[in-house]
Amino acid sequence: MDLVSNLALGFSTAGSVENLFFCLIGVLLGTLIGVLPGIGATATIAMLLPITFQLEPVSSLIMLAGIYYGAQYGGSTTAILINMPGESSSAVTAIDGYQMARKGRAGAALSIAALGSFFAGSVSTFLVAIFAIPLTGIALKFGAAEYFSLMIVGLVSSVALAHGSIVKALAMVALGLLLGLVGTDIYTGTPRFTLGIREYADGLNFVAVAVGVFGIAEILRNLEGEKTRTLLMAKVSGLWPTKDDFRRMFAPVLRGTAIGSALGILPGGGAILAAFASYTVEKRISKTPEEFGHGAIAGVAGPESANNAGAQTSFIPLLTLGIPANPVMALMVGAMIIQGIVPGPNVASEQPALFWGIIASMWIGNLMLVVLNLPLIGLWVKLLTIPYYVLFPIIMAFCSIGVYSVNSNVYDLYAVAFFGIAGYLLVKLRCEPAPLLLGFVLGPLLEENLRRAMILSRGDPTTFVTRPISAILLAIAAIVLVVVFLPSIKAKREEVFQEED
Amino acid sequence: MKSLTFDTTNAICGAVFVALGGFFVYECLNLELGTALRMGPGYFPLVLASVLVLLGAIILVQSTRVEGEPMGPIALRGMLFILPAPVFFGLTVRGLGFVPSLFFTALIAAFASQRMKPLMALALAAGITVFSVAVFSYALGLPFERFGPWVRF
Amino acid sequence: MTLSRMTRRALLATGAALTAAFALAAASVAADFPDRQITMVVPFAAGGSTDVVARIIAQKMSEDLGQQVIVQNVAGAGGNLGADNVARAEPDGYTILMGTVATHALNPLILKSTPYDAEKDFAPISLLVVVPNVLVVNPELPVKNVEELLALLKAEPGKYSYASSGNGTPLHLSGELFKSMAGVEMEHIPYKGSGPALNDVLGNQVPIMFDNLPSSSGHIKSGTLRALAVTTKERAASFPDIPTIAESGIPGYETYTWNALFAPAGTPPEVIARLNDSAKKTLADPTVAERMKEFSAAIVASSPEELGAHVKAEIAKWTPVVQDAKIQLD
Repeated sequence: MDLVSNLALGFSTAGSVENLFFCLIGVLLGTLIGVLPGIGATATIAMLLPITFQLEPVSSLIMLAGIYYGAQYGGSTTAILINMPGESSSAVTAIDGYQMARKGRAGAALSIAALGSFFAGSVSTFLVAIFAIPLTGIALKFGAAEYFSLMIVGLVSSVALAHGSIVKALAMVALGLLLGLVGTDIYTGTPRFTLGIREYADGLNFVAVAVGVFGIAEILRNLEGEKTRTLLMAKVSGLWPTKDDFRRMFAPVLRGTAIGSALGILPGGGAILAAFASYTVEKRISKTPEEFGHGAIAGVAGPESANNAGAQTSFIPLLTLGIPANPVMALMVGAMIIQGIVPGPNVASEQPALFWGIIASMWIGNLMLVVLNLPLIGLWVKLLTIPYYVLFPIIMAFCSIGVYSVNSNVYDLYAVAFFGIAGYLLVKLRCEPAPLLLGFVLGPLLEENLRRAMILSRGDPTTFVTRPISAILLAIAAIVLVVVFLPSIKAKREEVFQEED
Repeated sequence: MKSLTFDTTNAICGAVFVALGGFFVYECLNLELGTALRMGPGYFPLVLASVLVLLGAIILVQSTRVEGEPMGPIALRGMLFILPAPVFFGLTVRGLGFVPSLFFTALIAAFASQRMKPLMALALAAGITVFSVAVFSYALGLPFERFGPWVRF
Repeated sequence: MTLSRMTRRALLATGAALTAAFALAAASVAADFPDRQITMVVPFAAGGSTDVVARIIAQKMSEDLGQQVIVQNVAGAGGNLGADNVARAEPDGYTILMGTVATHALNPLILKSTPYDAEKDFAPISLLVVVPNVLVVNPELPVKNVEELLALLKAEPGKYSYASSGNGTPLHLSGELFKSMAGVEMEHIPYKGSGPALNDVLGNQVPIMFDNLPSSSGHIKSGTLRALAVTTKERAASFPDIPTIAESGIPGYETYTWNALFAPAGTPPEVIARLNDSAKKTLADPTVAERMKEFSAAIVASSPEELGAHVKAEIAKWTPVVQDAKIQLD
């Protein structure tokens, strides 16, 4: 009954007129800024952070949380409409979402994303409410060896992101991993691959790389021959998902929610994997895997749900331990401290109104988002009727602002141009950008945890198999490798040989 | 002449990966490798870079077996105008300030399309600038100077 | 030497009339400063402890100066990028730096090349706060105090590791100083920031950690971490029960993190005086004092000259530590 009274306290806190107002402002601002191309959740929060410092603690955190998931909704919108993801999670949405848009099904893609996210958000909010405190215990069992093994699972399954050549996808993952290592080595402080540029000492900016390889590459492709826009505009067939669409999104949404909720709890970057993992699962169990990469509904519904579920459950380590799972959560820790709240395990008992208020507001905010966004879909789809040559100067301007606003680092802007041309050339060489991006986010985590695990075990590599969780994860990776990966190489081989005939 | 047909795109692709891998291998040579216990900064990247070279070589070899479609046209004009836009913004945002820098960034990008008329481009750039200044500078209070030292008298 | 300045804070607070008189004098000299917004560069990411201090200070300084003081995060290279930006900015007082022990004492010693000179390229404005570090352990580690920890480390040399927020950070150096002064062995495990390090200490993946007191304080209160000692010379006002390392068998041990405002070298003295005065007023404000206390930060206002001397003293203090620990980064 504790839960009921806690939730009642939460809803009465979050349901006050004032907090409802700030929640609305948060999700609205988040959506609006997030929907601007090239500006994702991190850039949005970096921009909006100072505003929240003037408010009451509960209100400011409710608003920040609203900005966070609002920006994720907005970011998915640009990923679907113009192939411009602002976060690693929406990079996955871009793969099939953008293809749906090209086929005139932008409206359906957007509403599937919104509904899937809402469902996932609601379920995982309740998971947070019920399990927040017991679950933190599990998260703490994850040490360096476990994270390394988890990243290996992610890496092995990443091949599913590709819908072309597997070898090329692997090469893109390897390249992405290497690019992720650019910057200062945290163990020795040695700068690596920075070409002597001090501004890259903290690594390449994710937004710069994502905007470059996805967005700018796409703009350049559209400028080839200047007639492709008509192709994208095809015929907008129906704004809403059909009955058949609903039937096909149901199971992926459920699975995505489960995957996202589980991975989101891990503070060491689990949520990053959520969308990628869901995509892999959907593609593997689909009866029509060939649809993936060409506008599969499950390829939008699953990852979007996983992403949103992960976003909600990644509040668990923040609320129960005061440990930020990602840069956005780090900003929220800062906001708490500025408000005089010391993040840590005592927040739930000392500030129950704040703790449960935030949890309740997450559900309210998700409801607001779906109510706000469904009617807006018509408007977003109309944006596609803007002639492309008008649209892309706007995109370039917003990208520049968005990338610069994260760290005020002009070299991030040069990186946008560099990865724009690199991404375009790779697309011309029929390489897909998604595996590269996955490698890019996993690279530093993989190396950091590998080396840390080796130091902690004093050089004993059996640490990966003697620690039970790590061993289980490695076993999963091996199973994925054997059961899924090998047959698909065979199939690919046959395909190649057939082409040759 | 079957042995001479090969997929140009994949051949270039393989070569590109080999070259990129080679670059990273070369860079790793300047880094300490360390041991498996205490891996140096070069250990993990060297392994990865070698894998990349290997994968590039496989792609290169495979490309000789099949004939692929050609690469198609390249958006040279697009590259000429789109890529300098963020670079220009980076070079001038501190000196010129946010307003003029953004205006020219949008203007440069606008000329990437052949369909863009000069007057239209000016109007568009002005519109983007007004909107962005209102939203980012005034409403959100981003810490960008609107006019920088180069245009201050 | 700086902590004795903390006691001087009381003097400052009571002598508010004096401060006001000084303010009047300064205001008449720099009559037209500031006439536009001032940018306070924070050389670390938003949300971190330096950023929090900066935002609290900037808000109050805006009220006092009558112009917005805007916080701009220029993170990268351990604070060097932001510091370098300010070192090369117009010396007009409109671009100021929230400097720290990292930008003005440790980085110049640790890095083979620093793009700026911590003493010559900056005009000091005022010290702001001193934040204690703390030695914490996972409660499962069977030690209750520093003496027991030292006994454990000596009994099994090389077995235990300690976590820190990163290579070359004040916390890492606190650990190295601890090792060299006590003559014990611990493996250093660096993380990307305090958060992930704290996570592994809570999960007992790594048993020992040097942390900023504010970042650990919630866990110390709830008992999920055991605090063995603070690193300052005197006990922290917010945790009077935690002993210092110096009183627990390593006499003379002292480290702490500090924040201070700097302008580019060549900024007119009147402008510096105006900013110094504004910083002092801000620090004397009761709401700011309250926030800093919750944050476990001790307020230490100073004159520009005192800050200059402080930077010199800090560099002198850390030089042997860095050399002993052989910490040298590219």
